[in-house]
Amino acid sequence: MASPQAEYVKIVEEMFEKKKEFWLIGQYIQRWDALSKMLGKAKFTADYAYLFKNLVYVYSVRAKYAHARIKRIDVSEAEKVPGVLKVITHKDIPGVNDVGYVLPDQPLLAYEKVRYIGDIVALVVAEDPYVAEEAAEKVYVDYEPLPVITNPLDIVSFGGLKEKEHPLIHEERGSDVIARFRIIKGDVKKGFREADVIVEGEYRTQFQEHAYMEPEAALAVPEPDGGVTVITSTQCPHEARRAISKVLGLPFAKVRVVVPPLGGGFGGKEDVANEIGTKAALAALLTGRPALVVHKREESIIGHSKRHPMIARYKHGAKRDGTLTAVEAEIILDTGAYASLGPFVLWRAIVHSAGPYKIPHVHTEGVAVYTNNVYAGAFRGFGNPQVTFAIEQQMDKLAEELGMDPVELRLKNILRNGDRTVHGQLLDHGVGLEETIRKAVEATDWYRKRAEYAKQTGTIRKGIGLALLWHGNSIGAEGADYSSVTLIINRDGSITFRTGLTDFGQGAIQGLVMIAAEILGVPPDYFRVEQPDTSATPDAGPTVASRSTAMGGNAALVAAYKLRQRLNQVAADMLKCSPEDIEIRAPDVYCKSDPSRKIRWVDLVEECFWRGVPLQEFGYYRAPKAVWEDETGQGEPYFTYTFGTIVAEVTVDMETGKVTVDRITTVYDIGKVINRVGAELHAEGGAIQGMGYALMEELVHDENGRVLNPNLYAYYIPTIMDAPKEIVALWVEAGYRRGPFGAKGLGEPSINGIAPAIANAIAHAIGARITSIPITPEKVYLTLKRLGKIKL
Amino acid sequence: MYIPKNLDDALEYLDKNAPDAIPIAGGTDVLIQIREGKLKPKVLVDLSGFRNQLSYVKRIDGKIVIGALTSVAELDESFLVKDKRYLGFADVSAKFASPVLKALATIGGNIGVAVSASDYVTLLHVLNAQVKLVSVKGERIVPLEKLIVEKRTLAKEPNEIIYEIIFNETPENSSTAFMKFDRREMIITGYVTCAVYLQLKDNIIEDVRIAFDRVSGRIPGRAKKTEEFLRGKEFSLDVIRQAYNEVLPTEMKRKSDFRASAEYRLDMSKVMMKRALLKAKSRIEGGA
Amino acid sequence: MAQTQAQEYPEITITLNVNGKDYTVNVKPYERLIDVLRYKLGFLSVKEGCGRGECGSCAVIMDGKLVPSCLVLAVQARGKKIITLEGIAPPGKLHAIQKALLDTYAMQCGFCFPGVIMAAYYLLSKNRNPSEDEIRYALSGNLCRCGSYLRFIKAVKLAAEYIRKGQIYFDLKK
Ligand SMILES: Cc1cc2nc3c(=O)[nH]c(=O)nc-3n(C[C@H](O)[C@H](O)[C@H](O)COP(=O)(O)OP(=O)(O)OC[C@H]3O[C@@H](n4cnc5c(N)ncnc54)[C@H](O)[C@@H]3O)c2cc1C
Ligand code: FES
Ligand code: FES
Repeated sequence: MASPQAEYVKIVEEMFEKKKEFWLIGQYIQRWDALSKMLGKAKFTADYAYLFKNLVYVYSVRAKYAHARIKRIDVSEAEKVPGVLKVITHKDIPGVNDVGYVLPDQPLLAYEKVRYIGDIVALVVAEDPYVAEEAAEKVYVDYEPLPVITNPLDIVSFGGLKEKEHPLIHEERGSDVIARFRIIKGDVKKGFREADVIVEGEYRTQFQEHAYMEPEAALAVPEPDGGVTVITSTQCPHEARRAISKVLGLPFAKVRVVVPPLGGGFGGKEDVANEIGTKAALAALLTGRPALVVHKREESIIGHSKRHPMIARYKHGAKRDGTLTAVEAEIILDTGAYASLGPFVLWRAIVHSAGPYKIPHVHTEGVAVYTNNVYAGAFRGFGNPQVTFAIEQQMDKLAEELGMDPVELRLKNILRNGDRTVHGQLLDHGVGLEETIRKAVEATDWYRKRAEYAKQTGTIRKGIGLALLWHGNSIGAEGADYSSVTLIINRDGSITFRTGLTDFGQGAIQGLVMIAAEILGVPPDYFRVEQPDTSATPDAGPTVASRSTAMGGNAALVAAYKLRQRLNQVAADMLKCSPEDIEIRAPDVYCKSDPSRKIRWVDLVEECFWRGVPLQEFGYYRAPKAVWEDETGQGEPYFTYTFGTIVAEVTVDMETGKVTVDRITTVYDIGKVINRVGAELHAEGGAIQGMGYALMEELVHDENGRVLNPNLYAYYIPTIMDAPKEIVALWVEAGYRRGPFGAKGLGEPSINGIAPAIANAIAHAIGARITSIPITPEKVYLTLKRLGKIKL
Repeated sequence: MYIPKNLDDALEYLDKNAPDAIPIAGGTDVLIQIREGKLKPKVLVDLSGFRNQLSYVKRIDGKIVIGALTSVAELDESFLVKDKRYLGFADVSAKFASPVLKALATIGGNIGVAVSASDYVTLLHVLNAQVKLVSVKGERIVPLEKLIVEKRTLAKEPNEIIYEIIFNETPENSSTAFMKFDRREMIITGYVTCAVYLQLKDNIIEDVRIAFDRVSGRIPGRAKKTEEFLRGKEFSLDVIRQAYNEVLPTEMKRKSDFRASAEYRLDMSKVMMKRALLKAKSRIEGGA
Repeated sequence: MAQTQAQEYPEITITLNVNGKDYTVNVKPYERLIDVLRYKLGFLSVKEGCGRGECGSCAVIMDGKLVPSCLVLAVQARGKKIITLEGIAPPGKLHAIQKALLDTYAMQCGFCFPGVIMAAYYLLSKNRNPSEDEIRYALSGNLCRCGSYLRFIKAVKLAAEYIRKGQIYFDLKK
């Protein structure tokens, strides 16, 4: 880069080069909020309802049809119900009636049309939640039903991904294809001519529900200046503020969003948080009283974004020795009724659509299309689990076809240091993929099991399979990619930690605290992590895309580094040694060369106070600019990638088709393990969620766009009895120069490779391949039956 | 909500107010029905207040009698789950909802719900259970098979309550088993469920009864032709195979829905039937 | 309970004993125990994840039995003894299961924890040496989407060990 490097980049690189010994990083440390949560004292959004008086309750009146024109909305009867204060419709919206995340396509309150079964036509505000719900039945809407499209193949077709003739769901946009991305490299025709073996396949993935245990909630309090404070469960407080301001027609400064602990998010509490926060805020402003919105589980399931289903066709070519020559793919994502983060999800899917391999000739292309299904948006993995499911099964099919071991085939083609990705991006360092494979193979006794299981007969069979993955860190070319952290050392030596990043449960913030603590030399229990609050914490960008550790971590590192420099100066003065000689290990501060020369941490802080040395610092970090050539998909889409290898071991009951996952081994190259507890929990949690995705979860719509399983009884997420016996989490630390101490992200990658590893293990066990998830017992059994492999 | 002082009071209140008033026992179904807007009772009559009075498992004159308000948790503590003949109760309990619900859900409520997923009903069918109904007018005993006539429909007067469940003690050379499986382990309906009663003498099937969550209708029922075919034959895998491949399909009509296809359900009925029979046999022989 | 003309019903006065203390409250006939515990009495550890008996977040102990407080009407809980997470250890102390969950670093979002802890507490009250299968079964009605399941198993085993050694409570200060 020609331009002079920013100071923060220098600091991050300096720490990566110089700091080799750690007293905290990589240790098992109890997270800052563990105790309050353990005691049941942590307050989640809905808990605040107990602390407010004179609440009003908001209930959302949702669509009766998945696609219909609204001719008339009559709320007069509902407003007469005793206890009802107001029924809000689109006419009451003071600002712009839109809560779309990426595109302005999603009204908060539907007016001309409803486009899916969760669309909201009115809000009933009442003194009592039951009254609100009851009165909702008296809101009459005159609908003219329109044809419902639930199959994305009714919008586009394979063989070019052209939009078909169909009644438009979004007439105002003139097209129901919301985005199209591609990678074109070399000449795939030539690549396939050079291939000795070609494998093709169609892969399908389903709608996955986040099913975070805490349903969405928001509580809004009107402020005397006409503004509003909204306590809400969101991953992105500044995004929520933008949406609320827009709908209410208020300046950002008059809207304050505060985020209590979240009971899970997984990407789901991004866009719906805009909606729910806005609903509460509207009701509060229109009634002048604190307003509470808590979604029931059934509402949560039909009313918030899902993981995009994918239908993809893949074609891979390779030489006899396994060298890949070409890959071609067409990928269709169903984004449901609204775009949400769909364009970005598609983009990430396409960036990763060739897998972590060197391939000379590539043509992959994808579209995201509207349907009348529940809308799809962000979900851990963000488009990558879908394509990885396809790619990694293709690789196994290719290995079968070539008579190679799946590991050998991959070792032939993977990205290593010095290689270029299919986007032409040079990866000059920090690619630990090969090591993840070797570790995984060794830890699982791969070759022995692979050979042994191949000989099985009988009803109960075991299988072992693997999948590789990669995951671009942070948001890449999706948007502005920066982060910030504020550190304030208080006069008693305790430290206030602020960031706009949120912790939706997986402990992201803990890593940031540990980075700051490591550098300052002050144990984590001196820190107090403030709730994200748009009035107190500067925008740190959204908590998405596995960016907390890498991006937020760098911001924390920069802030702590600057404070430490100042502290060292003052301490050196006090102890009469050089600043480089200062060691801080609160409660003590001493000279490394002579530890008996010692003062207390609080005294150092007090001295700084009297000298007027500022003990607060704002750390900022901006990612290197991503480059993306729209026509060809060439460039540098992400600044770095997390890599990994997953091995799944399964047992299949051939008579019922039921699959049990016995063991999952995950090996991730995350650059550097910062927060070991968090990393392990991510690996385990991602594995279990991925197992649900692979085997049981699926949100089902009927042909009218109604959701058939909007509860946790019929939408199956794994219970503790389904969890594997063992999840082994191993790490590779192939340091990334511009990550905090070399660290990369893990939030999302931890789900990417699970489903294909399980699918490959099943194929190994039963000698047949199932190419759509969830791999239900029925699919396994009927596949075996059709192939004549099982007879009752 | 009406809180009766005692059972008589409840019966009297029901007599005057049913069907506007309906009983609530554990509430694990009623409250969901109300939540989903499928049931709109004016008043609920709380039976839980005299739970103790109607919670028991007794042996009386060669009969087993179970009080309608006996919870799943209480059944777990009864002798039924220790007697090899009635281990079908342990099977139902092991896959019933989840441990969080077991103290609330009652066996009477399970009959009251009357759906294909009423697991106790499926099991009680193979025990030829009868149900004692009580109202202000007195009591009567009806076979369970006659009581449940359709999905969520009982052949009982709205003022009657389910009082107890009765079945004959079964001989020493018999046992029961219940099978249920789904894509996850707990909190499941089961793709199919199957209960069997098996009575073996010198490996000859002296008697057998087989019930499924559904046979042809939408409620639990018996596969009587299949039973008939098996009765008197020597117990072997071949015979069982013949029964489920040749006879069962003639009387079973499975339906497809979003959870599974009819074809899969029929095939799994076969597998569950086989496994349940093998389990019952092993129990008769002293296994678990 | 939607369709019950919420406003028309008179309130009923009931007495509940929660964590050893008696409370007299007026409740609507359709009000659930969970709402009374949370919003009338402030036992906010009790969490609502589904309101349908499916997730176990709202689990409490009622007259010695584990129940989902979302499926118990408040009036049905009249006169009953309830224990919530707030009541499993004396003030300033952690119960062995809480200590063990800390020791195994099981905490993630924590929303499921109150229910998980109550289910584990209930198991441990009946079985001081549960096997892995028994633990899995006992917690099978408590959904944890963050996926701390394997840690729960370790923690319950560890807590059982503490309890067998007579260490039921631990000082809050580590
Ligand atoms: C999450 C979840 C999982 C479940 N899993 C299972 C399962 O695995 N297997 C299964 O079989 N069921 C299951 N159920 C359904 C339900 O729990 C059972 O059917 C239970 O046995 C119902 O008993 P109850 O006492 O709670 O009934 P209630 O809900 O109190 O009553 C059910 C019906 O029976 C009537 N009734 C109850 N008692 C009497 C009586 N004594 N006389 C006359 N009428 C009466 C009521 O009026 C009502 O119509 C599940 C429910 C939930 C919420
Ligand atoms: S909230 Fe009660 S079980 Fe889910
Ligand atoms: S810790 Fe988040 S649901 Fe269990």
